[in-house]
Amino acid sequence: MKADKESRTKNTKKTLILLSAFLVCVLLAAVLLIRAAFSGSVFFSSGASQENYKIAVIVKSTTSSFFNSVFAGAGVAAAEYNVELTTEGAVTEEDYEAQNALIDQAVENGADAIVISAVDFHGNEEAVQRAADQGLPIVVIDSDVNSDDVICRIGTDNFAAGRMAAETVLSGTEGLLSIGIVNFDENTANGQERETGFREVVGESIRVKEVKTINVLSTIEDARQGTRELIQENPDLNVIVTFNEWTSLGVGWAVRDEGKKDDIMVVAFDSNVVSVGMLETGEVDALIVQNPYAMGYLGVENAYLALTGKKPEAERIDTSTTLVTRETMYLPEYQKILFRYD
Amino acid sequence: MKEPGDNNRQRIRRGLSSSAVMTALVVGMAAAALLIGMVVFITIYHHSMIQNIKTYSEQVTGQVAAVVGDYIDDVSDSMQLIRETSLLPEKERDEKLNALAELRPEIIAITEYDLETGEMLNAWTGKRRLKEDISVNLSYPEQIPKEGELKISEPHVESFFVNEYPWVVSVSQLKPEPDGTDHILVLDTKFSSIASYIDNVGIGRHGYCYIMDEAGTIIYHPQQQLIFAGLKQEPSELFKNVSGGSIEKDGAIYTVHQGMKNGWQIMAVSYVDEVITDGLEKCVYLLLILLLCVMFATLISSVVLSRLITEPTNRLIYAMRDFEKNAEGFAFSPISGSREMAALSDSFGHMVVRIQELMARVRREEVALRKTELRALQAQINPHFLYNTLDSIALMCEDGRNKDAVAMVNALARLFRISISKGHELIPIEKEVEHAKSYLQIQKFRYKNQFEYEFDVEEQCLGYYCNKITLQPIIENAIYHGLNRMIDEGFIRIRIYEEDGDVIFSVADNGVGMTKEQCENILKKENNANSGFGMKNVNDRVKIYFGERYGIRIESELDEGTTVYIRMAKVEGENYESR
Repeated sequence: MKADKESRTKNTKKTLILLSAFLVCVLLAAVLLIRAAFSGSVFFSSGASQENYKIAVIVKSTTSSFFNSVFAGAGVAAAEYNVELTTEGAVTEEDYEAQNALIDQAVENGADAIVISAVDFHGNEEAVQRAADQGLPIVVIDSDVNSDDVICRIGTDNFAAGRMAAETVLSGTEGLLSIGIVNFDENTANGQERETGFREVVGESIRVKEVKTINVLSTIEDARQGTRELIQENPDLNVIVTFNEWTSLGVGWAVRDEGKKDDIMVVAFDSNVVSVGMLETGEVDALIVQNPYAMGYLGVENAYLALTGKKPEAERIDTSTTLVTRETMYLPEYQKILFRYD
Repeated sequence: MKEPGDNNRQRIRRGLSSSAVMTALVVGMAAAALLIGMVVFITIYHHSMIQNIKTYSEQVTGQVAAVVGDYIDDVSDSMQLIRETSLLPEKERDEKLNALAELRPEIIAITEYDLETGEMLNAWTGKRRLKEDISVNLSYPEQIPKEGELKISEPHVESFFVNEYPWVVSVSQLKPEPDGTDHILVLDTKFSSIASYIDNVGIGRHGYCYIMDEAGTIIYHPQQQLIFAGLKQEPSELFKNVSGGSIEKDGAIYTVHQGMKNGWQIMAVSYVDEVITDGLEKCVYLLLILLLCVMFATLISSVVLSRLITEPTNRLIYAMRDFEKNAEGFAFSPISGSREMAALSDSFGHMVVRIQELMARVRREEVALRKTELRALQAQINPHFLYNTLDSIALMCEDGRNKDAVAMVNALARLFRISISKGHELIPIEKEVEHAKSYLQIQKFRYKNQFEYEFDVEEQCLGYYCNKITLQPIIENAIYHGLNRMIDEGFIRIRIYEEDGDVIFSVADNGVGMTKEQCENILKKENNANSGFGMKNVNDRVKIYFGERYGIRIESELDEGTTVYIRMAKVEGENYESR
């Protein structure tokens, strides 16, 4: 009987302890709730507290207005998604080795993702691969690189842009055509694609007598020199097509130098203040304007999506290209495309 | 080995225990209440949130409209100043206006046109260089402002500079000349101060506001570049048929402020999702915390309850079942728990003790009753046996077999003496053997030596006690049922020996034997009129005195014989009481 009594008091004690523990828990829960109710933000300050990703945008040139637009778009996206952005470019648009060094440097500096416009389809392959092997998402804008690890390719549909140039040439001229193509580095993917698209369409026209390509360095001076020689060697040349901002300017200057603005139809690429001026004064007859701002913006956006574990909008995103002529250049919707808003 | 309680325990566990039911109920009810509460809360929250956003947006657009209005007033003042300056002599005028265009970063160009010809008369642009051949001039107003009115154009690029194409807004005003003709004064301004103001207006995390003109064309948008690049669009048709107020569309709330002097509209955009989602997240988080708390509380309370009620109840149930199975050997240990449970347990304990006492009493009384019955039985003497024996003695006397008659009478006397034994139930085995011998002697005379018998008694057994008249009924049975019908001479062998600490009597005959059914029946049959004690009687008595594991066992084979074993405890005194 005594033992029974003892065990009974023991059990009552246990129960008491449990009851008090229960009370303490209820109190704690109440305190937690009140705290949560009064300062809800303490518990889920989403967005602001997450670490900033570093995204490196590496392009072909830092001086062209094309790539400045890319940077501007990238900057807006970076601000919107709260990422740290570095923007860099090769010194010349042929120097893939310098670009490779920039890629390696970016990886070394702790970039989380790389947005690249490749100088050389094959030359940049290894450096891009190295970065991809480190687990960095690679987004290609504007000009492609030979890699399977690119998560998203954003840019102009270069074949379509080339075809657009060709159709502009065919509809803007009469009679037999002797066409000169002033292209940049043979190893740069986008230029080659544009030329292919262009040749595809003009090749079907019986009006086209000949199509001649010269490859120049992607500088104004080299393009100007090359174009002048082309014009001098081919006196009956009546169309020149060229595929980027620098060669466009070179061609414009050469046409002005040779005094051939009324004899030669020039279809050029991209816009900057000088080439727009030439469009107005007649050295250039049509500009095919890409959307570099969108490339930069979408490049950073998709890199950010990849970093946050989401899928890119698509594996290939085509940004718009617009044909601008002297007649359309000051129409409101073309102004927006041609002139960047600062 | 399974404990007797195991089955019961399983049977109880098959159902739901009350504490589990209670836990589920409480948690379920709490969850339901919380969920309903949350839904109601979220609905109200959502509604009031949207209302808040709308109110706030209206305030913001109102403020922006005021600021923009002030700005337009400023521009109007500047215009006034420019107009006055343009009336000065040419040199002073050019100097001042050029200085204005150069020093005020907002002002890009001031131009003057002839209204009739549209010819550009003057242009003051600071240091910016005009194109030699201006093919398109976007600054020239599309609509000529009325007298005294200020016309503000849509944003456009300045098209008359060399290699420079800034985005501007053109403010134009009619300027009547002294000679009666009208000139147009145009001020191209960068709009930057108002732009930076608009850029900094925020509504929620991503909300913003922008300026449209009467037709809904965007004058300034903080994300102008995105719109130009085609990456963003604003729904321009939204307020076409509605004047003012707020509209919800695609997860955004658009609030417009109209009625500015120049017809512009201020649009505020805020995103419902982000605001509401944040709120929702909070709600869900709170809900989870609450649920966790409730679960935890219920868990603890169910443990407490089970300790106080369920567990003791179960233990009481097991105890009751155990008691049902084995009332005599049951020992109850009190169960602790809530006060009510303790009271129940105490009552049950008392009840167990009481029932056990009652049972013991009943059994004692029964045993006493049986004993009286037995004594009464023993007092009876099988009358046939007596008559037959007396007839035999009479016959012997007539035949002059006096010696036999004397032996017979002696044996009969011994038989009765031992049968009575002063009323004791237990007698020494020696006496029992003597009794059996006397009986056999009489029967041998009567059956004219039709059978032989033999005793084989272990010496040490003689001192122990046994129930009286145990051998005689068995022997009687052997003679009547085993040997009487035989043609050959019968033989009965009686053994008394120790085995496993017990005393065994065995009576073996070589008679006709019995079938299994007969063996079983013989132990069920009450004593018949012919014989005083039946086998059943012997068996019952042994069991009453010594317990269930003692008593009679029969081995029999037809035509071979029967052996009856009686097992009894070793008892050394006649005062032995049954357990």
